Amino acid sequence: MKLKFVFSVLFFSSVAFNSSVQAGTLDDVKTKGHVNCGVSTGLAGFSQKDEKGNWSGLDVDVCRGVAAAVLGDASKVKYKPLTAKERFTALQSGEIDLLSRNTTWTHTRDTSLGLNFAGTIYYDGTGFMVRKNLGVKSAKELDGAAACIQAGTSTELAIADYFRQNNMKFTVVTFDTSDQTRQGLESGRCDFLTSDQSQLYALRIGLKDPSSAIVLPEVISKEPLGPVVRQGDDEWFNIVKWVVNASIEGEYQGVTSKNADDLRKNGNPGQKRLLGSEGDLGKKLGLSADWAYNVITQVGNYAESFEKNVGMDSPLKISRGLNAQWTDGGILYSPAMR
Amino acid sequence: MTTGIVAWMKNNLFSSIPNTIATVFILAILANFIPGLLDWLFFSANWSGETQDDCVKDGACWVFIQAWSQQFFYGSYPTEEIWRINLCLGLLLSVVIGSNFVSKTIRTKIFVPLFLLLPFVSILILNGSWIGLEPVSTDYWGGFSLNIFLAAASIIVAFPLGFIWALGRRSTMPLAKSISVLLIEFFRGVPVLALFFMGSVMLPLFFTEGTNVDKLLRVWIVLTLFMAGYMAEVYRGGFNAIPQGQYEAADSLGLSYWQKTLLIILPQVLKVSMPNILATFVMLFKNTSFLMIIGIFEILSTTQAALSNSYWLGGHANEGYLFVAMLFWTVCFGMSVISSSIERKLNTEHRK
Repeated sequence: MKLKFVFSVLFFSSVAFNSSVQAGTLDDVKTKGHVNCGVSTGLAGFSQKDEKGNWSGLDVDVCRGVAAAVLGDASKVKYKPLTAKERFTALQSGEIDLLSRNTTWTHTRDTSLGLNFAGTIYYDGTGFMVRKNLGVKSAKELDGAAACIQAGTSTELAIADYFRQNNMKFTVVTFDTSDQTRQGLESGRCDFLTSDQSQLYALRIGLKDPSSAIVLPEVISKEPLGPVVRQGDDEWFNIVKWVVNASIEGEYQGVTSKNADDLRKNGNPGQKRLLGSEGDLGKKLGLSADWAYNVITQVGNYAESFEKNVGMDSPLKISRGLNAQWTDGGILYSPAMR
Repeated sequence: MTTGIVAWMKNNLFSSIPNTIATVFILAILANFIPGLLDWLFFSANWSGETQDDCVKDGACWVFIQAWSQQFFYGSYPTEEIWRINLCLGLLLSVVIGSNFVSKTIRTKIFVPLFLLLPFVSILILNGSWIGLEPVSTDYWGGFSLNIFLAAASIIVAFPLGFIWALGRRSTMPLAKSISVLLIEFFRGVPVLALFFMGSVMLPLFFTEGTNVDKLLRVWIVLTLFMAGYMAEVYRGGFNAIPQGQYEAADSLGLSYWQKTLLIILPQVLKVSMPNILATFVMLFKNTSFLMIIGIFEILSTTQAALSNSYWLGGHANEGYLFVAMLFWTVCFGMSVISSSIERKLNTEHRK
């Protein structure tokens, strides 16, 4: 009798638990009071822990932005550090609500894993870093040079294709870790080093004399990085997508964390619509009217987030490049906020 | 001259031409290597400061270790709650040391239950939500204390579990025997890394969506079962070393199966398997560093996270890994010391 009771309690509680999940990620997050966000275990400028255990970075700011939009408080995020292998399982199994872990948006991942990519927050790609004394200004001048490459990365393939396409020759020196790759360049065993461009800047800081090397402008593969959500929950998908767009649109409209309060009252109609003092953009997402206002005041617009984490206000000093607004020569373009 | 340092050198280092060449060669290498190492480690090392910019000298940047020390030891556990980690470490240490100094009856009557309770008490204290303390979810646990807790908690549970599996393996009951053999061979035959991946990547797919078993709990279970598989085989070696006469003597006294096993056989099995048991402990403790692969912030992945912080990118890998190696070595050496003292204590009959 007693045993039967225990079993039925267990059964019904599990049913109740499941149904609360099926009600959708948004309700689930509101009930929990925090966003479970999958990040990397440590990637300079994108998701990194500091000495106090606080998370920061461009990827982390997506988590914080979503928390700000949904819960009104950017700090209500639980970070789940994930390795590359675990990341999709963690999302599929519901362990996390949102994956923001420097993940490349590819056709295969988007279509076959039961996932949706909710936009691009950083356009990355394989790039080159050369020693300055080589006097090279473009990757086209690298004919006959020796490359330092980390073994087992997709970079190897990309660079071989690139050189063959351009009828150039190169020799490869492979290393096991990125640290060794950097030392290879430093000791002169190779003329240039290839990796994802965002990582090149991190490697460059590690050089004894960072100014002795430059990152070339060419990018030879597409690596659009963005947040990922589960497929089949369009409400949540829309929220994450438009949080990303709001931060990009914020920069485009000139709304920053500093002037958002003022523009909310005195801005132009577009700014007011974004900040929720006019229109009902928030309601259509199932959020409060001040959702984007919370994102921009608590996390900052895209430019603020970029400069703080990877740009000129950070040690990485990555220039905007492709990640500038379309009006400034980049390809960042938010769909219309209306 | 047959004694003194010169004679010793003549006998051992320069006794023949090949020996002399080898000695000179090795000394030359050491002379080349050691001054630079000492210089890097100590003389031109940077000892004080708070950020990377304080590392101005050429040597090691120990500032890095200092700045990250809280992360290295306690992970992201809230600073004002760290006393709870220290309390648990203190409990562990006092039970281990205490059990070494009490009489045999107290050890079995009080300290064995204490040991078995320890993992669960520690979980209560560290998590806090069940006993009215500030709840700290496992996402914030980390650092070297996590390595110690995980190893200790798995060892303590695996100790009796492995014994039961070993008994099952020796049993004449077909079901008990086949289940035990299956478990032992599975957990011993699969690399611990593969088990971790199964625990972290595969297992969640089998649960219904939304049912989340804590990652750390999954890892603890995996480690415990892995350890139990090894312990069972260690015990089996112990069982085989016990003369058949001991079993027959116990039977002739009319002892039941459990009386015989627990009072006569177990103490002797423990005694003869002690060196292997402790070697397995050390192995498991070092295996906790594999948790890095599945994104748990134990000491090694904390070090890597620290190395990839954009404000500490100046290449501190040498300092970081050296520090981790030193920590592991210190604890493992401590375990060897304790283990040899236990062996001396248990050595009752074969002493010459």
